[in-house]
Amino acid sequence: MILWFLTLFLLSAAFAGCKGDPAEGDARQVDTIPMLVMQIQKCSRLYTTEYRVHKIVTHDDVVRLRGQLFSRDYDVALPIGDRKVAIPMDATLKAYIDFANFSEENVRRQNGKITITLPDPRVVMTDTKIDQKGVREYVSLTRSHFSDRELSAYEQQGREAIIANIPKMGIIERARESAARQLIPIIAQMGYEEENITISFSRDFSITDIRTLLELNNVER
Amino acid sequence: MTIKTSHILKMAFAVFAIGLALYFINKAADSSLGIETSDTIDITPEQIQSIRDIGQWEFLAVSDEELVDTVRRGFFSNDRLARIYYGTMRIGVDLSKVGEGWISVEADTIVLRLPPVGLLDDRFIDEARTVAFFESGHWTAQDREAMYQRARRRMLSRGLSPQNLKSAQDNADAQFRQLLRSMGYQRVIIRFEE
Repeated sequence: MILWFLTLFLLSAAFAGCKGDPAEGDARQVDTIPMLVMQIQKCSRLYTTEYRVHKIVTHDDVVRLRGQLFSRDYDVALPIGDRKVAIPMDATLKAYIDFANFSEENVRRQNGKITITLPDPRVVMTDTKIDQKGVREYVSLTRSHFSDRELSAYEQQGREAIIANIPKMGIIERARESAARQLIPIIAQMGYEEENITISFSRDFSITDIRTLLELNNVER
Repeated sequence: MTIKTSHILKMAFAVFAIGLALYFINKAADSSLGIETSDTIDITPEQIQSIRDIGQWEFLAVSDEELVDTVRRGFFSNDRLARIYYGTMRIGVDLSKVGEGWISVEADTIVLRLPPVGLLDDRFIDEARTVAFFESGHWTAQDREAMYQRARRRMLSRGLSPQNLKSAQDNADAQFRQLLRSMGYQRVIIRFEE
């Protein structure tokens, strides 16, 4: 008898709990967890060139039967249903000159002429933005929706693909020209004639060098 | 029974039959067959939308990670989505905002009038680096966009604090002094506009 009353009590409490929930059937969203880490770094960087890049990341998720059977390799697409997703994304790349170690050794003055030797330009990916409204998913009835983890993994791969293609974009050369365009008018205002100002860079670059100079900001490896 | 239901049943039977066949094949010697799906994206081109010269001098970089969590309350259960966003706020001086004659030289003294330090770019979140931390239920693109905006607001409120702006301005002062002294100016006066 006591057990029966206890069960009845628990059931009624459970129903009362459901009714009493103020957010019942409500799509209201709340956020609860605070920030994780903040890191502050002093620097002196002159950003001279900005590239905006657009990419549509696509993924075709076909279920395949793959392996070896009686010493023969098999790779067959199964008719279980497809999943496809297209994720448009934008990225901003900026090239900069790092002035943190700039000193008298970088400046040479002689007979009213000034030569400034700048350190190697570097490239940083300053932001990426997913066009959430433009994301398109096509999922067969027999397959599950793309999870947040899967979508994030494809977006990260898209980001890596953009970084891998930076050396082909000519951003370093453009950054060197742009740095000269930025700095020559500034030095001219200090009293030098423009024809007496020379901006040089510490070395020439090959594609291999450019790869080593790319600063892959915020990349988890 | 509708045509759609019968189709689904046929497919379920096919999956079951394939699974059974795989089990027996894998039992056989020198044979291995398995069902696989690809995790890699397709190869697609990148398109450069714009190239421009900029003159932004960064003096303080504030890197932030924000865990944004959202809950949708339902009748039977609650859905949750938690994502970690990464961003770097770059604080400094935008040289496109300097006034006419912002550098003046008198004898061995150089005077710089600089605009106030501020956020160099409104877009600072690396959204493609976002980590999916937890997910239950189905979430839409609008939900993710709302979370992005929430992460952005939080980062701004923490990163653009008066202390950080002051720190950036102090560093700008120190760096410009060092730069100009390297170029031979012994007396440097730097003023920031209000």
